[in-house]
Amino acid sequence: MAVSADIYTERDQFSKPVAVSIGLHVALFGSILLYATVMGRFRGEDWGGTGGGGGAMSATLVSSIPLPASPESTNILANESKGVSQSLPKAEEVPEPTAVPIPAPDAKKLDRTTRSTRQDRKPAQPVQTATNVIPFGQGGPISGPYGTFSAGGAKGGFGFNGGGGDFGSRYGWYVDVVRRKVSENWLKYEVDPNIRDARRVYITFEISRAGQPRNITIEQSSGVPSLDQSAVRALQRIDTFGPLPGDYHGSSVNVEFWFDYRR
Amino acid sequence: MKRLFVLTFLISLATACFSQDWIRTGTGLGQEKIRIAVPDFKVSQGNPADLQKTFNDTLFSDLESAGIFEVVSKSFYPLQVPGSPQEMKLDAWGNPPPNAAMVAFGNLGTDNQNNLAVFGWLFDTRNTGSPQVLGKQYRKPATPDSAREIAHEFANEIIFRLGGGISGITQSKIYFISSRTGHKEVWAMDYDGANQHQVTRVGSIALSPRVSPDGSRVAFSGLASGGWNIMMWSNELNRAVRFPSLGGTNLSPAWSSDGTSIAFSSSRNGDPEIYVVDPNGNGLRRVTAYRGPDVSPVWNPKTNAQIAWVSGRTGLPQIYTMQADGTNVQRMTDQGYAVSPAWSPNGQFLAFAWIRHYGPGAPGAQDIYVMDITTRQFVQLTHNGRRNDFPSWSPDGRHIVFQADDQIWTMLADGTGQRQLTFAGKNSQPNWSFK
Repeated sequence: MAVSADIYTERDQFSKPVAVSIGLHVALFGSILLYATVMGRFRGEDWGGTGGGGGAMSATLVSSIPLPASPESTNILANESKGVSQSLPKAEEVPEPTAVPIPAPDAKKLDRTTRSTRQDRKPAQPVQTATNVIPFGQGGPISGPYGTFSAGGAKGGFGFNGGGGDFGSRYGWYVDVVRRKVSENWLKYEVDPNIRDARRVYITFEISRAGQPRNITIEQSSGVPSLDQSAVRALQRIDTFGPLPGDYHGSSVNVEFWFDYRR
Repeated sequence: MKRLFVLTFLISLATACFSQDWIRTGTGLGQEKIRIAVPDFKVSQGNPADLQKTFNDTLFSDLESAGIFEVVSKSFYPLQVPGSPQEMKLDAWGNPPPNAAMVAFGNLGTDNQNNLAVFGWLFDTRNTGSPQVLGKQYRKPATPDSAREIAHEFANEIIFRLGGGISGITQSKIYFISSRTGHKEVWAMDYDGANQHQVTRVGSIALSPRVSPDGSRVAFSGLASGGWNIMMWSNELNRAVRFPSLGGTNLSPAWSSDGTSIAFSSSRNGDPEIYVVDPNGNGLRRVTAYRGPDVSPVWNPKTNAQIAWVSGRTGLPQIYTMQADGTNVQRMTDQGYAVSPAWSPNGQFLAFAWIRHYGPGAPGAQDIYVMDITTRQFVQLTHNGRRNDFPSWSPDGRHIVFQADDQIWTMLADGTGQRQLTFAGKNSQPNWSFK
């Protein structure tokens, strides 16, 4: 009996280490899982735009550096000078000079014939440069980060209303400043990336004598909240447009500004 | 009858007061640079030939480097150059070949008291009704320096008007380190590289000059008997002023844009960490506490609530940002070797020097990059194969000054318009003044 009792006590002694061992294993796997998820979260961030790591330089930055957009922005080779490959215009084939016979006594007749052949020849065509050719030089202007928007084809202008004011006709340059500055401060990336095209959003605001925008309101929503919000933020981001022209007597100017969004 | 007259007068006054001008405009109308023509200013009286050339050259180069203009080449100008509004023919300037939207013109002359008088106008060629945008008059002693100064002031005025209320930078200064005298001393120059002159006379080694927001003082790290210390030079007294010795190696001071704090790195407790003091050296407090070097702090000049700096806590130096009290640490660069952060005046961008692929088998040049802080997208600005370092933003946020090998260069903040400013000796660590 005593022997069997010994066996029972030995079994009892085993169960504890087994439980401890199972517990430790569970803890180990748990910590591995935890480590993977936590570290995965830290490592998974996409630094510096597309592809992170060794990918191509990201040049789709949208910014409000107060500089106007670069006119050419499709060229990814970032350098100030114009291009890499020299694409010389195609050399025009020089037609063989037609043998003009030595003028004979009946020279008038011959003249007529040569004139007619000249008219048959096509007029010199201007050299067409293909759109996909990189211009000669070393690269072209840096693309980005200043491509604020490219709402190509959008039409617009400015008009005036109320009070018979002639602000726009007298101070066209100030209207240009307003347009340029709002455009520079509109960050397109704030708009929901799923939106491809949206209706025009109209914002109205007032420019104080000192040039600060105030009373910013959405006059007509585009139906896309993120687009409306980005338009309002563009104006909120602006500290000043510069003081109103000195010889303008009004205390403020109302502006209606529209934003066309197209991805 | 009289009453009726007064009443109508009052009503008309009231309507005049309430009448509001409306502008209707929108995006997608093109965002081209303003085409501006800058014909040479004419001589009205006296014989200021040298001053005229200085003035014209300065004005032309100021507007050309402003970043918002496309200055029309002088070869397109009409033969008849206007010197006053009466002589101005808008048609000739507004149509091709010059096709300019704006014309800056005027005249200058010297009088009997040896004063230089300049009249300058800015005309909008598309607005035939009231073309004048600006009309300015200046009078200063007839010296080349004041001719340059007047040109700078007039250019600033044009940039302020047409650039949307952002003042030009033509009167800002660039501080830098030069070893032309045999010692590394702080030097200063105009934004276009003119008027280079020595500022400090410490006689040892000065590094990382940072001018205060009001321009009255320059903080720098200098080698003194007790090691590297933050030193303070007064531009008004033209001598070093007292700044307490804090112990350890103290480097790279940085002013907050309100002038109330200086951040710097100090190894007074062994490990280089970021500390903040007030401009007199009082109220020292430590901001970072992590093993590994923490150096080169800069403030967010828009809010003064954040600091960007370089930390080696993970090995190679990387750019980080945090709140000014040390919380919310964010790593901005993910790879390579990133140093010398500079925060843009509008608070949205960091410029820094980066070797993106660093180490054996990865030959990479050190270039200047600009990163958008919210999206962390970046763009490379220099591609010259030199060692580019120490970017610093201009007060208008349109330009960046930097060091390429041993000279100082400037460029527009999109990487274009690179221009060398210094040519003599070895020059490094430029810092653009706050205004």
